[in-house]
Amino acid sequence: MIRLSKIRRGPLRGLVACAVACILSIAAPARAGVTEPGERPDQQFDFMNLLSHLGLHDIDNESWNAYGQFTYITSYKAPFSAPYTNANGSTNSLLPNSERSWTGTFTLYLGAKLWPGAEVYFAPEVVAEQALSQLRGIGGAIQNFELQKSGLTTPILYRSRLYVQQTIGLGGTRVVKDSDPLQLGSSVDSRRLVFRLGNFSVIDFFDKNSFSGDLRQQFFNMAFMTYAAYDFVADARGYTWGGVAEFDDDDWAIRIGRLAPPQDPNSLPLTLQLDKFYGDQLEIEHNHRLFGQPGAVRLLGYRNRENMGRFRDAIGAFQSDPSKNAANCTSYNYGSQNAHAPDLCWARKPNVKMGIGLNIEQHVTDDIGVFFRGMVSDGNTEVYAFTSTDRSVSFGATAKGSLWHRPLDVTGIGLGMGWISQAHADYLRMGGIDGFIGDGNIQASMESVFDIFYSVSVASAVWLSADYQHLTHPAFNADRGPVDIAGARVHAEF
Amino acid sequence: MRSSRALAFAAFATAVAVTMQAQAQQAQGFALERFYPSAPGGGWFVMDDLDMHGGLGGALSLTAGYAHDPLVVTDGTQHVGVVADQGFFDLGAAVTYDRYRLYLDLSSPLVIRGESGTVGGYRFTAPSVDLGKNTDLIVDARVGYDVRLWGGPTSPFRLGVGAQLFIPNGRREDYDTDDTFRAMVRVLFAGNVGSIAYAGQIGEHIRALDDSPAPGSPQGNELLFGLAAGPRVPVSKDGNTVLVVGPELYGATALQSFLGTTSTALEGLLTGRLEGTRDDGPQIRVKLGTGAGLNQHFGAPEWRFVLGVEVFDHDLRGARAGRASQP
Repeated sequence: MIRLSKIRRGPLRGLVACAVACILSIAAPARAGVTEPGERPDQQFDFMNLLSHLGLHDIDNESWNAYGQFTYITSYKAPFSAPYTNANGSTNSLLPNSERSWTGTFTLYLGAKLWPGAEVYFAPEVVAEQALSQLRGIGGAIQNFELQKSGLTTPILYRSRLYVQQTIGLGGTRVVKDSDPLQLGSSVDSRRLVFRLGNFSVIDFFDKNSFSGDLRQQFFNMAFMTYAAYDFVADARGYTWGGVAEFDDDDWAIRIGRLAPPQDPNSLPLTLQLDKFYGDQLEIEHNHRLFGQPGAVRLLGYRNRENMGRFRDAIGAFQSDPSKNAANCTSYNYGSQNAHAPDLCWARKPNVKMGIGLNIEQHVTDDIGVFFRGMVSDGNTEVYAFTSTDRSVSFGATAKGSLWHRPLDVTGIGLGMGWISQAHADYLRMGGIDGFIGDGNIQASMESVFDIFYSVSVASAVWLSADYQHLTHPAFNADRGPVDIAGARVHAEF
Repeated sequence: MRSSRALAFAAFATAVAVTMQAQAQQAQGFALERFYPSAPGGGWFVMDDLDMHGGLGGALSLTAGYAHDPLVVTDGTQHVGVVADQGFFDLGAAVTYDRYRLYLDLSSPLVIRGESGTVGGYRFTAPSVDLGKNTDLIVDARVGYDVRLWGGPTSPFRLGVGAQLFIPNGRREDYDTDDTFRAMVRVLFAGNVGSIAYAGQIGEHIRALDDSPAPGSPQGNELLFGLAAGPRVPVSKDGNTVLVVGPELYGATALQSFLGTTSTALEGLLTGRLEGTRDDGPQIRVKLGTGAGLNQHFGAPEWRFVLGVEVFDHDLRGARAGRASQP
C-alpha cells in the first residue's frame, strides 16, 4: 500500500517510514507469487483496529495481532502477431491466440510476542491460478505478479512465512512501529540490530519500495515487484529458508542475508546445505529528505552459488558433441524436443551468479511518489528462481486519490524494461530454452511493459482495480508481439 | 541333478515372487496421524479443559512432536514399516467468547519416511517428506467450534460439544491426507474435583475413505474416545502457576470392524504442563508428553514425544483493565 500519509506523520517520519517499510514488508517471489503486505492507513478497517477501538486490544504495544487479505486478479491477453511459435520443438513461447489468466490468494498474517524483543510471525496462504501459456513466453514482464510456478487451478494451502525476529536495541530515539501485517505494534530504538531466522521471502526484507512493491495495492505486472533481473533465491512459490541480519542507525540501514536456493532451477524443493549452495544478499539503505519530502536510496548486491548451467558451456557442449542436445537430456530439463538445440541440462554444475542494483523512491508531494529500479546481473547463467531477465530498469509514479477527494484510491503508471546478455541471446537463437523463455529462434531485443492502473476503494478495505499493459517483444524477441493485456482485480484486507 | 533341481526351484520361486510383486495392488496413502491436538487453549494435549469464559479472548498454540513407527503393516509373517518416522509441528489460533470457541489449526510435517514393501498382496510405497523437499507444506487444515453446554469454567463437571472440519491439503502418497473432507463431532467433558483435573471425549470421525482390506488402512467412519486425569498442584506461592501431571489415553476404532485388533488405535501419553491461571492478562502454558501405542495398529505409534506452548487470554478486556490498573 502506498505509505504517503504515514511517512509524513511524526517527527521521525522519514526514519519511521523507512524502517517500517524495510522491516515490515514482505515481498514477492520468484517468477510468481509472493507479494508482501504493505502498511495500512489508520482510517482503514481491520479487526485489530476494531478491537482497539472497543478497548479490547493494545494496538500500540501488541502481544499478538492477526490480519488477512484476499486478492483475485483476472487478465485477458488479446491475440498478437507472431511469425513463429515454439519453433523446432521448443516449448516456451507465449501463445499468440487470446488467453485468460487468473489468480486467487487468501492469506492470514499472525504475529505474537515471545519474549522481550522477540516476535514470531506465521502466514498461511491459499493460492489457485491459471497462467497464460503455462507461464511461458514472457521474460520479466509477467502480467500478474501473483502467478506461481507451481500453481494449480485447485486451491493449495501452504505456509508462506514462519520466522522469528529478535530486535536488540542499541539506543538513539524511539521509533514507533505501527501494527500491520507481519509487524506487531511497538516502539524500538532508532539504533538497533534485527535478526530474522526462518521461512520467508527474500523480498520481504530486501529491495523494499513504497511505490512499487506491495503489488496487491499497486501495479499488476511483476516487473514492478522487484528488480526483474534480481534472481533472488526462492522455491517455486517465491519463499525460502535462511537468516537475515539488519543494523539500523537512524537514516542508515544495512542488511545481509544467506538463504537457501531450490534444488533444481525453478523447482519447489530447497537445498538446505547452506555451506555449499546459497544466495547471499547485501543491501545498504539511506533515507533522506529532498525539498522537504522523504525518500530513500538502496544499493543491493547479490551472489548466488547454485547448481546451474552457463549458456556458453551449454553451447560449447552442443557444438563439441551434437548428441548433447535438448531432446537428449537425461537430467533435469524443461522438456524441449529440439534435437538441434543446446540445453542447459548438459552444463549444470556449481556456478556463481551475481548482480547489483539501485532502488530509489521519492515523494514528490504528500500523495505522489516516484520510483526507480535498475539492476545488472552477470548474464552468464540460467534463471534459477525469478525471471529470465539479465538486466532491468523500471520507473514510474503512484498517487493516492487525495487530490480528487478519494484518499483510499490509488493510481499509478510505470515502465519496465529488461534485456538479456549476448550469451543468453546466442543460446536462445540456437533454439535453447531456459525455465521460461525460448521460442526456438530469436531476434534479441529489449522486452518492455507499460503498465497503468487505477484502484477504486469501494469500501473501507475493499478495492476494485482496472489495469492495462502493453508488452513489447515478449521473451526479448523482436519477432513477436506486441501484446496487449487488460486486467481487473478485487482486493480486500481485514 | 540335485543342483539343477535346486536351481529350477529357485528360478520358480523367484518367478512366483516376481509375479506376486507384479500382481500386488498399489496401496494408496491416507491421513495417518492419530494425534489430534486439542483446540488452542484447550489445556491437555488431546483432551479439552472446556474452561472457556469471560469476554472476548483467544489463544495461540505451537505443538511439535515425533512418532516412531506409526504405520507398520503386517500379514502375520511380513512386517513393513511404511512410515517409520513422523515428525510435525502444529500451529493453532482460537477466539473465545464466554463459553464458545472457534479455532483454526494448521499442521506441517517435518519428516515422514519409512520403507517400501509388499504385504498381503498390497504394495506400499514409503513416503519421503522432509523440510528440504517440502519446505512449505501444510496438511489438512482443521477448523473447529466448541461450546460448553453445562457447568462453569472450573466446576466439577463440565459438558460440551465440538465439531471439526478437516479441509484436505497435501498428497495421499505422503500419508498426510485422505484427499477428502473429513469431520469430527465430539461430546466433551471435563471437571475439577478438589485438586484433580480430568477431561474426556467420545465422538465420531466422519471419514469417507475406506481402503480395506489393505492392511493398516482407513475403513470409513471411526469412533473416537479418550480420557485424561491428573493432580493440579500450585507451584507458586500466589497460586497463579499450577502444574498438572497425568496420563492421557485416547484412540479410535473403525465402526465397521468395531474394536477389532487391527482396526483400533490406542495410545497413552504421560503428560505434564505448567500454566498460568490469572485472568488479567496473557498466560502461558508449557506442555510435555511422552507415551506409546498400547495397541500399535491403525496409526498408533510405537512411541511418541510431544511438546507444546500456548499463549492464551480468557478476557482481553480484563487484560486491558488489569494493565491499566498497574502503576
